[in-house]
Amino acid sequence: MNGKAKKIVVKTVLYLVLSVIAAIIVYPVFYALIGGLKTNMEMLSGGSLFPKEWQFNNYKEVWEKANFAQYTFNSLFMCFFSTIGAVVISALTAYCLERRKFPGRQVIYSLYMATMFIALGSVTLRPLYLLAVKVNMHNTLWPVILINIGAQGTNIFLITKFISGLPTELDEAAMIDGCGPFRIFYSVLLPLLKPILGVVALFQFRHTWNDYITSSVFTMTQPQLRPLTVGVVQLKYGASAAAEWHLMMAGAAISIIPMLVVYFVCNKYFMTGTVDGAVKG
Amino acid sequence: MKQNKSLTTQIKDNAVIYLMLLPGLFFLAVFALYPIGWIVKNMFYHYTSFGEYSFTGLKNFGKLMRDEMFWNAVKNTLVYAAGKMAVTIPVAFLFAVVLNLKLKGRMFFRTVFFMPTIISVSVMSMVFYLIFNPYNGTVNQMLMALGLIQKPINWFDSKSAMVTVLIVAVWGAIGNYMIYFLSGLQTIPSDIYESAELDGATGWKKMRYITIPMMAPITQMVIMLALTQAFKDYENIMVLTSGGPNNKTEVLYLYIYRLMFPMGDAGGNIALQYGYGSAVAFATAVLVGIVTVIYLKWSRRMNETF
Repeated sequence: MNGKAKKIVVKTVLYLVLSVIAAIIVYPVFYALIGGLKTNMEMLSGGSLFPKEWQFNNYKEVWEKANFAQYTFNSLFMCFFSTIGAVVISALTAYCLERRKFPGRQVIYSLYMATMFIALGSVTLRPLYLLAVKVNMHNTLWPVILINIGAQGTNIFLITKFISGLPTELDEAAMIDGCGPFRIFYSVLLPLLKPILGVVALFQFRHTWNDYITSSVFTMTQPQLRPLTVGVVQLKYGASAAAEWHLMMAGAAISIIPMLVVYFVCNKYFMTGTVDGAVKG
Repeated sequence: MKQNKSLTTQIKDNAVIYLMLLPGLFFLAVFALYPIGWIVKNMFYHYTSFGEYSFTGLKNFGKLMRDEMFWNAVKNTLVYAAGKMAVTIPVAFLFAVVLNLKLKGRMFFRTVFFMPTIISVSVMSMVFYLIFNPYNGTVNQMLMALGLIQKPINWFDSKSAMVTVLIVAVWGAIGNYMIYFLSGLQTIPSDIYESAELDGATGWKKMRYITIPMMAPITQMVIMLALTQAFKDYENIMVLTSGGPNNKTEVLYLYIYRLMFPMGDAGGNIALQYGYGSAVAFATAVLVGIVTVIYLKWSRRMNETF
């Protein structure tokens, strides 16, 4: 075999292996999207890749009877406010920490760094739930939105790193023109921050859209407040769940599809943002 | 000319800055600092759903030492973390090396391999729950069609549940670490490879003597991130197995969750115990801290040896 033929063989094998891996990775998502279009009999007997007849009715049934219209609205409602909140808070904080010198700056900065390293997870839910009861917010989605915004450590860090790459002459020129700190932030820096704020918004959207634990704790007694993730998982525990796989998958698909669309439009931002957010300091 | 202003005037001069920081500080205080304070206070109290509430000093920690559920969860957490990292990190590294080659369509493969990280863990865990279903699930059907197994495997019995949980965890995590490795590979200047090629280095030698050593710093960072993340995972386990069967997949954060919220789907037969739950949470934070410090020390020593 000469060099060129060998190269072609190697490449073919490589593509074959990559395609098999890609198929394995995509399969579960495909299973959910297509499963939602099969009859329950087809789902339970497995085997077939595609449905014999496409059951678009499943989506209609989940949407209307299983209350997924309400769940979708709740998810969108949460994402909207959580994303706006996260962008405003992280941009303001990052600007102050990166561009201004003031007493207490170092302490605040280290506190934010610390929050990124302490793994709190399920630990914070009980105190925050009790707090929500105390301020009488536990029957709304607002505590979930606020908790999803959270301390914003990673996002603040992402933006400070971006700001440190912008020339300080801009701020100084604006200062000489008599702008106060807020004007400098709002009129000079904010327009330049658009790309990184886009990444923050994407991450926050994903975080809130996919949130399960917090939403499930706060909506345990309030089914009408559930977002999609909780609504889907509830189908697993529902009375007739064992028999209704096709509806479970239709529900899963409704929750997955919007995120997939966002991902295929913005996948580059997801990837670069992931790297920038991880490489700390 | 810079003057040494007094602290009060400095604070006054920056009044607008503090105002701008206020929203962020509010979130930091309420959603990060307050829960920590709450845990640290309540771990010294006895608190039950019947409304009993009393200071008990270190009794919760005594209970913790004797609590079989806790030590079982410690063991499972370590097994889960080790298993997840042992598979995810090498595979992610391999994927990154391959998708860093000049291949047509590599962006397509990167996009596909990264995709699991953007989809809801809970929803996908439910989908996997059906895929791994012993009787109607496609995993068993496929394995049987290929002749690899004779009768269906019960993927959720006490022998296999942890393996199933790990497969799902690895599926969701590889893309993330692949992207970190890819960004690291792109920082290796190509002229190093070119001069090595002039010296006659081939594929494996380039890998062994250039790629792997040059990737050491980023690999350390990836291991660090993977370590803290693996200890934090519990959403996937909660939906897949609820910690069962026989607590075989119960991890620390799931145990804490069940102590703090014993109602609902994952609650099981545990009674609500804020105080004891706080003690477990504190012990978990300390455990994660210890493991992290050990890793940092070890990786620093590795740096010195090489």
